[in-house]
Amino acid sequence: MAKREIDLNIVDVENREMRLGSIISWDGSAEELVQNSRYEIRSRDKRKSVDGCAGKKEKGCRLCELNMPFNQQTMCSHSIVGCQVGNIPDCILIEHSPIGCSAIHARFNLGYKMGLARRGKKIENLQIFSTNLQENDMVFGASDKLRQTILDVQERFNPKAIFISMSCSTAIIGEDIESIADEMEDELGIPVIPLFCEGFRSKHWSTGFDISQHGIMRQIVNKNPIKQEDLINIIALWGTDYFTEILKPLGLRVNYMIDMASFDELAQASEAALTATFCHTLGSYMATALENEYGVPQVDAGQPYGLKGTDDWLRSIAKLMGKEDIIEDYIKSEHERVLPKIEELRKKLSGVKGFVATGSSYAHGMISVIRELGILVDGSIVFHHDPVYDSGKAEQDTLKDLIDTYGNIDHFTVSKTQQFQFYGLLKRVDPDFIIIRHNGLAPLAAKIGIPAFAMGDEHFPVGYDGIIRVGEALIEILARKKFGQVLQRHVKLPYSDWWLSQEDPFILAKHPEILDEIVSEDSTVAEIGVETVIKPEKKVSKSKKATAKSKSA
Amino acid sequence: MAKELRQIAIYGKGGIGKSTTTQNLTAGLAENGKNVMIVGCDPKADSTRLLLGGLAQKTVLDTLRETGEDIDLDLIVKEGYRGIKCVESGGPEPGVGCAGRGIITSIGLLERLGAYEDDLDYVFYDVLGDVVCGGFAMPIREGKAREIYIVGSGEMMALYAANNIAKGIQKYAKKGKVRLGGIICNSRNVDRETELLRAFAEELGTQLIHYVPRDNIVQHAEIRKKTVIDFASESAQADEYRDLAKKIEENKHFVIPKPMTQDRLEEILFEYGLMDAVEDYKI
Repeated sequence: MAKREIDLNIVDVENREMRLGSIISWDGSAEELVQNSRYEIRSRDKRKSVDGCAGKKEKGCRLCELNMPFNQQTMCSHSIVGCQVGNIPDCILIEHSPIGCSAIHARFNLGYKMGLARRGKKIENLQIFSTNLQENDMVFGASDKLRQTILDVQERFNPKAIFISMSCSTAIIGEDIESIADEMEDELGIPVIPLFCEGFRSKHWSTGFDISQHGIMRQIVNKNPIKQEDLINIIALWGTDYFTEILKPLGLRVNYMIDMASFDELAQASEAALTATFCHTLGSYMATALENEYGVPQVDAGQPYGLKGTDDWLRSIAKLMGKEDIIEDYIKSEHERVLPKIEELRKKLSGVKGFVATGSSYAHGMISVIRELGILVDGSIVFHHDPVYDSGKAEQDTLKDLIDTYGNIDHFTVSKTQQFQFYGLLKRVDPDFIIIRHNGLAPLAAKIGIPAFAMGDEHFPVGYDGIIRVGEALIEILARKKFGQVLQRHVKLPYSDWWLSQEDPFILAKHPEILDEIVSEDSTVAEIGVETVIKPEKKVSKSKKATAKSKSA
Repeated sequence: MAKELRQIAIYGKGGIGKSTTTQNLTAGLAENGKNVMIVGCDPKADSTRLLLGGLAQKTVLDTLRETGEDIDLDLIVKEGYRGIKCVESGGPEPGVGCAGRGIITSIGLLERLGAYEDDLDYVFYDVLGDVVCGGFAMPIREGKAREIYIVGSGEMMALYAANNIAKGIQKYAKKGKVRLGGIICNSRNVDRETELLRAFAEELGTQLIHYVPRDNIVQHAEIRKKTVIDFASESAQADEYRDLAKKIEENKHFVIPKPMTQDRLEEILFEYGLMDAVEDYKI
């Protein structure tokens, strides 16, 4: 076990695919993915000892993956930075970009207000601004516009800190947001934090979490902490505050990071007794940075989902807090409290098959919860996969934990909210319901008669009560099956029959040449639909040869 | 105590001899036991040829393109003459992509890979012709090069370019710590070249740090893919570069340049250079 070095002296963050070896396209069983990930080895040395797919040397950090010829894009690091540091009530984010990069603000505003409501904070609008760059700004540079925006924001809102996010366009023209931030920080006397989160820099949006946390670690977190022995950092998103209730018996106060946290709450992260998270994909970077820099320990456990997951998580926290004497009684009494209800739900949900399509390690937790309820899961999607987390702690290997506790998942897919693949992935296992948290997935499932549980509150499945909450919600969701079936009879998916008939949702990664052949020979969608259902079979075998040949060469 | 790393950027008109001067000068520093790294910031990738003996240096961007993102430092940093570390940023093919962004990507990658080791005394950035866009200013951003030297000559266009570069430096210097360390004259044997360059430097508020005379031995060395210091160590020209290295080593004169107006620049040119040329025609 070895932690990743996190260099807070430099303004840039190493991308997830470089640092952890993260991938976005993969298909196989969960067991295979655990084997390929080689968490232990990868945690020791990311460059030398792992056979990866980084390049010609066939060595390096990145896990081997399927290379899709195209992607349906949904999010980027810039967008993530918007919904992270753009959700701090007494701070302001300035997006240094043309206005299109801010198109998602309306949705972020909704999420932010709901988050504030859930945490009982004053409800207000999102405070993100754009420098709204035009043609001339691209040609002549836009540094003065950025300076003016910083001054305007300072005058009008008097924030405790100002973040600046780099976009693709400003990164290409080389806007020097770091120097401007330095200069304005001196002038205004508050932290002005440059974030290098241009969308093209990483293939997965989760690098945006790391960039947000990096900026906060560098310029907000208190550098001379005074320990608060009863404070626990929970790196979270917008979820309801269930953690206070769960951790109260251990005498802990919860300090949520980053969304909806105030400047002061962020600053005291270095003073906490420990750090935990509802999702290691999200919390990996900051928890490790806090541990490396300020000695704030992080949990030696997976995540608080399902009975075993919650038990392990609580035990780890109790151990770090020196409360091992009371924890077993607490766990025992909680089990006694929830088990009768869980048993009841298990009976009702017996024979039901579920499918999860969410962010990486959160999905591992979610699947644990529904399997705890006796629901069968033989297929699921994660939007990316981190073969290791920054802490390198084997106890945090959430996918391994999932299959060790609840068994393998035959069809475990890494696919970044790719709707066009989603149909085939669902058809392969034909679930009774799906659980999702991101846009564009529930409508597709509904159109093929599968009801979706759109989990708005990501803390819903957390802890012992989370199992019950999810079970009860699922019973309601399953009651909508009829609606889905009616919908299915009346709508058509926007894909050709040829695509819908494909058994392998990754066929385009394995045989990208199919794409050229179909497009060149059959120019209209209608023709593709009729003619090519059989045709490609032949072509696949031909192109298989070609692929094999090019490989041997 | 950790040594203070001096990061230096060399600018100047295209073809003026930036790369030749930089390589010879760093060879001089290396002779004195200094640990030096050169980062070539020109898509042509010809900033380290003399130090590497012509060894084809794989550029950072070519490596990125062909090998992928997960690169080992030893793939892109090659040791040349007297252990000088050589890096070429490289760039896209002419006419496509964005060379400026390429420089940002390369320098960012070098930082993340830990190329800026503690035992380095100097990092030199050899930057193409002019500060044409944000990318080419990357080497003089905060935390990078704080010293700049402009290579010039007595030719009119070289001084136009130098004055323009001074404008760019002034913009950065006013906001940060980057300063102009001086003008290096790479002689073209133009009439009254020293006086012209001295007057020009003075007008900018800086110094003519060294006058490197023109000598064919530079060409001879270049053909053999060597610096003069390496090829003809005993030659007078080698001593000129050693002198330059020593002056840079000891330089304390760092200023925010005061670029001149076009009219003023032409006046100086007229006074020191063109005047004679015009009179010559009267013969």
